[in-house]
Amino acid sequence: MKHLIPEFERIKARYPAGCESSLVLPCLRRIQEDRGFVADSDVDDLVAWLGVPRIQVEEVLSYYTQFRRKPIGRWHVQTCRNVSCSMRGAERLIDHLSGRLGVKPGETTADGRFTLSTVECLGSCGTAPVVVVNETYHEDMSAEKVDRLLEGLQ
Amino acid sequence: MPGRQLLMTFPVTATSHTLADYRGRGGYGTLQKVLAEMKPEQVTKEVAASGILGHGGAAFPAGRKWQVVHLDDGQPHYLCANADEGEPGTFKDRWILENAPHLLVESMAIAAYALQVRNAFVYIRGEFDLPYRRLAGAIDEAYDAGLLGERIMGTGFSLDLVAHRGAGSYVCGEASGLLTSLEGRKGYPRNRPPRLTVRGLYQRPTVVNNVETLSNLAGIIAMGAEEFKKIGTAKSPGTQLVSISGHVVRPGVYELEFGYPVARFVYEDCGGVLGGGKLKCIVPGGISTKVLTAAEIEPVTYDHASFQKAGSGLGSGGMIVIAEGTCMVRLLQVMLRFYHHESCGQCTPCREGMGWMHQIIDRIVAGDGRPGDIDRLIEISEANDGTTICGMGDAAGYATVGILAKYRDEFEHYVLHKRSRFDGRLEVPLHA
Amino acid sequence: MPEIFINGVPVEAREGATVLETALEHGFYIPYFCWHKNLSVAGNCRLCMVEVEAESGGWMDIACNMPATKGLRVLTDSDKVKARRKTMLELVLKNHPVDCGVCDKAGECMLQDYHYAYNGAPSVSTVPKVRATKFHELSQRILLDNERCVLCSRCVRFTREISKSHALGIVDRGDHSLVRCDELRSLDDDPYADNVVDICPVGALLSRSFLYKSRVWYLDATPSVCPGCARGCNVDLWHRKREWKLNALDPRHNACIERVTPRENAEVNGPWICNTGRDLAKFLERPRALVPMQKGREADLTAAVAAARALIDAAKHPVALVSSWGSNEELAAFKAALGTRFRTLVKPDRLAEPGERIEDDILIRADKNPNTRAAVELFGDAPVALDEGTDLVLVWGDGFDFARLPRHAKTILLGAFVAPENGHADVFFPVSVQSERAGHYTNFEGKVSAFSPCFPRPPRVVDAETLFARLGTPVAARSGAAA
Repeated sequence: MKHLIPEFERIKARYPAGCESSLVLPCLRRIQEDRGFVADSDVDDLVAWLGVPRIQVEEVLSYYTQFRRKPIGRWHVQTCRNVSCSMRGAERLIDHLSGRLGVKPGETTADGRFTLSTVECLGSCGTAPVVVVNETYHEDMSAEKVDRLLEGLQ
Repeated sequence: MPGRQLLMTFPVTATSHTLADYRGRGGYGTLQKVLAEMKPEQVTKEVAASGILGHGGAAFPAGRKWQVVHLDDGQPHYLCANADEGEPGTFKDRWILENAPHLLVESMAIAAYALQVRNAFVYIRGEFDLPYRRLAGAIDEAYDAGLLGERIMGTGFSLDLVAHRGAGSYVCGEASGLLTSLEGRKGYPRNRPPRLTVRGLYQRPTVVNNVETLSNLAGIIAMGAEEFKKIGTAKSPGTQLVSISGHVVRPGVYELEFGYPVARFVYEDCGGVLGGGKLKCIVPGGISTKVLTAAEIEPVTYDHASFQKAGSGLGSGGMIVIAEGTCMVRLLQVMLRFYHHESCGQCTPCREGMGWMHQIIDRIVAGDGRPGDIDRLIEISEANDGTTICGMGDAAGYATVGILAKYRDEFEHYVLHKRSRFDGRLEVPLHA
Repeated sequence: MPEIFINGVPVEAREGATVLETALEHGFYIPYFCWHKNLSVAGNCRLCMVEVEAESGGWMDIACNMPATKGLRVLTDSDKVKARRKTMLELVLKNHPVDCGVCDKAGECMLQDYHYAYNGAPSVSTVPKVRATKFHELSQRILLDNERCVLCSRCVRFTREISKSHALGIVDRGDHSLVRCDELRSLDDDPYADNVVDICPVGALLSRSFLYKSRVWYLDATPSVCPGCARGCNVDLWHRKREWKLNALDPRHNACIERVTPRENAEVNGPWICNTGRDLAKFLERPRALVPMQKGREADLTAAVAAARALIDAAKHPVALVSSWGSNEELAAFKAALGTRFRTLVKPDRLAEPGERIEDDILIRADKNPNTRAAVELFGDAPVALDEGTDLVLVWGDGFDFARLPRHAKTILLGAFVAPENGHADVFFPVSVQSERAGHYTNFEGKVSAFSPCFPRPPRVVDAETLFARLGTPVAARSGAAA
């Protein structure tokens, strides 16, 4: 994580003095962007740099759904299964994805390319069903569209 | 468009979110006027006089919230825009963040000036990637143009604005949970007292307002409170961005003038029920509001008083259209699974109750419902009504009780016959 | 001082007090799990809800976070409040394992007590309980059962606010939240950790050294004072009640300290003690010296006393090293009987062990002896130093390095425990420990605390207090005593 410290210092400069604890989430996000997940050594380094109790970082990592402490597939395929998405076919879409990838939600394909997850409302209900791959929203999805999408991902 | 517009007043193009385009629409002119001609107290007075209610779901008068903050108490104040938008069915703040981020930035600068805030934040849910990049881009543009930072527009007013991302937790949309998350911890909501405007972020006076509420401010100051009050209704002045989704032909974000008839909105402006079927009911404003049947929405206009009279609420402005033939048991199952997943776990009734309700409804849907199950769902809902640290417990209760009040027979059918009265899918029923 | 009304009764509330504090202070009981008078308000258990009467309609809210404002009218026992309490307890019960039959907390469990007082009905749930970790080794000393945990967060707040170790937290969320320790460090590094076992309202946090030892209703608690340092924390020593003695086992099982808990003293230790105090049986239950000896040979007490007196009479430069574990009474008796005869120095019986925290601003003091202050007030604080002219050394208690003994000095030794030196002393007397007699210690701030006996003295062991009187009687005054 140490190579990210100059960036963290720039982020820190935007927050008021005495509010260093606020940096926990942005720093963890950046670490995860960089490494793909947050390693134990990253936690040590962050705690050392930021000076917050280690337990605080551990709690945060376990509480928020977007943080992970283990690597996952190169492409994180997240399908919303909340109300509006379900009403526009998300349940069938999830079954389709599961069948096509050969994994259940929460699992990663054997070749390490895809991890399939079901998630709650993503704020894209008007263009349901929505699939998020890594950070990007893919809206108005269907089985055909999602097949084409997956084909395009290495 | 349904009524007069205040926010969605320009066509969305590839560049409409940029500073250049915003300036072309007159952007930052109001901020300039405020800094040059108005005292902070005058701004707050104007906001209070406008009667604008919060657009996040609680509908608290924004001006009254601001007036709790003592401007000269010698301690830092904070302003935070709530862009966590996690209420299922709601995606209207996203529209502002993606297409009119400068409107939010300018309005926040005005609000910060009124509240004597030196550091402001936009707490934006972690999943909103494009909205975050648009907002961060707008903030960078504003800094470069001297519209944020030290000595804004050459005046004595300085403001730092940070776009702070969440990481996946619905209760971070609750104002106190949001601040706890902003402090770098789990998004645990807090008990009141003290109010956040007395002790909020890092125990300092903090105003948390919804993105849409704040985005209205530039307009309110520009036109004046009196003009603003001419739009909408007496008790609900102005407009509301409504997200509509579900079994509807034209889902999306619409700006409704308060007082607009709901039935006309659903059937005409939004094209009516997908598949040509009949409307069963709507979820009015996010799943935490009580459902209204097709018959019940007939006399209803889109404003707080009318919805209250109908026994529901405007909530977060996230309307979901549900066609005849949809299984309400399956629908409630999705909702309870959501609440269970999102419970932070702090307080007894919600922590134990959400899991309990989820387990019961899973059992019903699996064909193993028991006679006492429906009443138990109601009892657990009541056990969460007014007993929890934040409103999530109550919300789950309202969703449950609201659906059971109007569709209990579907649940009884499911328990008795071990299957749905309908085909059990949530998608648009093809043979409605 | 605002006046509020509780169940119609007017009471004066302290400025800034909450309704819960005010109610408890005036004898109105309101049940609670998460509130603790020495910790911040969490307000998460929701058990302390009360009804507020108001013309506008009234409402219900938690009492622990409700300011007692002038004119407030609350009801703590109305039907609504009772129904609400029952509901909250039902919800706690939903996932609670109810394994009281194998849980150490039975008999002193807040959940048990509240269940019988305010609910009393079996669980109404028809769905399986959420399972969680049982027997999680939170540390070498503490066991955690997450199923029993009601997530009141008292333990977490304790490590944040009192011991400041920040060792504990709650991970995950919802009904799969779990109390956990910081992954890198051990809760064992927090010298106050065991206090979380006391404050846990249920049997989730348990002392591993006390695990399955005894049902608490078979035990009595005797007030005492921890001898671990100069703070003198007040404690309770728990031991089997006489009427519940275990006949079939070694009788020593009926005369040992089963556990140690804090005895609240606002002036000394509040409601806390450190882990050294928890383990004070380690100090008091070492193998005991049981018989008087002369040069290693078992002696009759009268003969030993006579021999000691003779040595005292004959000495030209006698030095006494008194025990900083001696009670106020014992030290006074020494002064009265022998204070003029001996050059008396105060000896620190115990020094910090490797790894033991030296001092902090919470409870722990660098002086690892309970009564140095009283001893120094009587005998001064000159350091222990023996010059070559010393011809008699009286050593009372532990902590003297016998290699420093002047070559030709005689020795009179008073000790409670087995030690090699006991056999080398000219005269050795086995003395009692604090759990066998009544007495007082004076802590470093001058606060005096009492301890009481809970075990019988072994038959030939003497109380130092009476022994000094006998040793101090001058030869000339011993009319009729055998020379």
